Amino acid sequence: MNPVDFYNETLTSVPTEHGFYPYESNGGTALAIAGEDFCVVASDTRQSNGYLINARYAPKAFKMSEKAVLANSVFAADGNALVRRLTQRIQWYKHSHEKEISITALAQLVSNTLYYKRFFPFYTQVLLGGIDESGAGVVYSFDPVGSYGLEVCRANGTASALIQPFLDNQVEFKNVQFDDKPRMTLDRAICIAKDAFTSATERDIYTGDHLEIFIIKQDGITIESYPLKKD
Amino acid sequence: MFLTRSEYDRGVNTFSPEGRLFQVEYAIEAIKLGSTAVGIQTSEGVVLAVEKRVTSPLLVSSSIEKIMEIDTHLGCAMSGLTADSRTMIDHARVEAQNHHFTYNEKIKVESVTQAVCDLALRFGESAHGEESIMSRPFGVALLIAGVDEKGPQLYHADPSGTFMQYDAKAIGSGSEGAQTELQEEYDKSISLVNAETLSLKVLKQVMEEKLNNTNVQLASITPEHGFRIYSEEELQVVIDRL
Repeated sequence: MNPVDFYNETLTSVPTEHGFYPYESNGGTALAIAGEDFCVVASDTRQSNGYLINARYAPKAFKMSEKAVLANSVFAADGNALVRRLTQRIQWYKHSHEKEISITALAQLVSNTLYYKRFFPFYTQVLLGGIDESGAGVVYSFDPVGSYGLEVCRANGTASALIQPFLDNQVEFKNVQFDDKPRMTLDRAICIAKDAFTSATERDIYTGDHLEIFIIKQDGITIESYPLKKD
Repeated sequence: MFLTRSEYDRGVNTFSPEGRLFQVEYAIEAIKLGSTAVGIQTSEGVVLAVEKRVTSPLLVSSSIEKIMEIDTHLGCAMSGLTADSRTMIDHARVEAQNHHFTYNEKIKVESVTQAVCDLALRFGESAHGEESIMSRPFGVALLIAGVDEKGPQLYHADPSGTFMQYDAKAIGSGSEGAQTELQEEYDKSISLVNAETLSLKVLKQVMEEKLNNTNVQLASITPEHGFRIYSEEELQVVIDRL
């Protein structure tokens, strides 16, 4: 290449900037508390985009089986895609093995499903709450690429930083001095979930509208709905 | 049946006008040439026993493998063209490992049997795209035994891809006599120890050679120890009980 062309083409040209922004944060919060023989999974239903509200009722928690509820937050489109994919896998499992998938098996399946998209992840934080084969309440929490662990209580989403310390204190009694720590009852777990969400709604603009509480027990799943502030 | 032979036993996937797939029926016949294998289900576990045809005194009998492990909780005994079972057992092992990887739980005995049977009819020319792996049906029948959440179970899978659950089942050359004997002797409340003895007793009756600790193989699958092939010493203990 002659020096003039080199100057014109290379030294004066500005590289074109390419942008690819496939992710979005739609806000929202979910929490799960495991009890001895029950599990509570709660989430708000607001879906936002910046200062705008896309929807006041866009559920983030889904019943996956008679023993498991999955809640996800952050990017709603990825969360919904994940739930659709898992729902299909759960149905396949039911057909090929003639039994309902256990929550331990489902947890491993969720982990693998997330990890299979290790290099273009589902932008979602997942909580899986339910009853295991022994009838005990369990909570699994996942990061976007499939690392997971068994927990007693967990909050994720935009208000997680507000709710998690509250759960640590009220559910696990972390840093609490007294000895006779009461065992977690279903009523108390529901109370804690409601309080956590009403308080979070006051401070987090992405959390609000409605609260949906899934109660998972050996004999089935019930859903309770409560209003949250809509401002 | 051989009298009705016609051009319909040429194409492996062609039905005869009577509605039969001759090659599959012949494959089932091939099993009746194989050495006898017996499986007995009890509430404590499942016992598998096979006859090994030691055709020459120079043959190293331990090199004859007719009982194989599929997973820690699954075992398999075979009769017929045992070389064909390699493909099936490889598939079963992969299926069991995949299940464990995906769901962090042990695969059910029925599911692994179904997986093996899915292979059985993949012979001949395949339809759109599906890779066929065999030019002919498998010439081997399997007794798949294992323990899962439903307890100890025994399944029989044949070259037609059909599988059925049994309390006790015999396959191979001596299967007719052995099955009759099992029917007479089997009881739902049989213990594992008695099932060990019964399996060898049945084999002894149908074997041409005199039964000893080198010409039979015995294995059990129990909730406690999973799949286990008996050593020659352990085998001798069972033989001494006969």
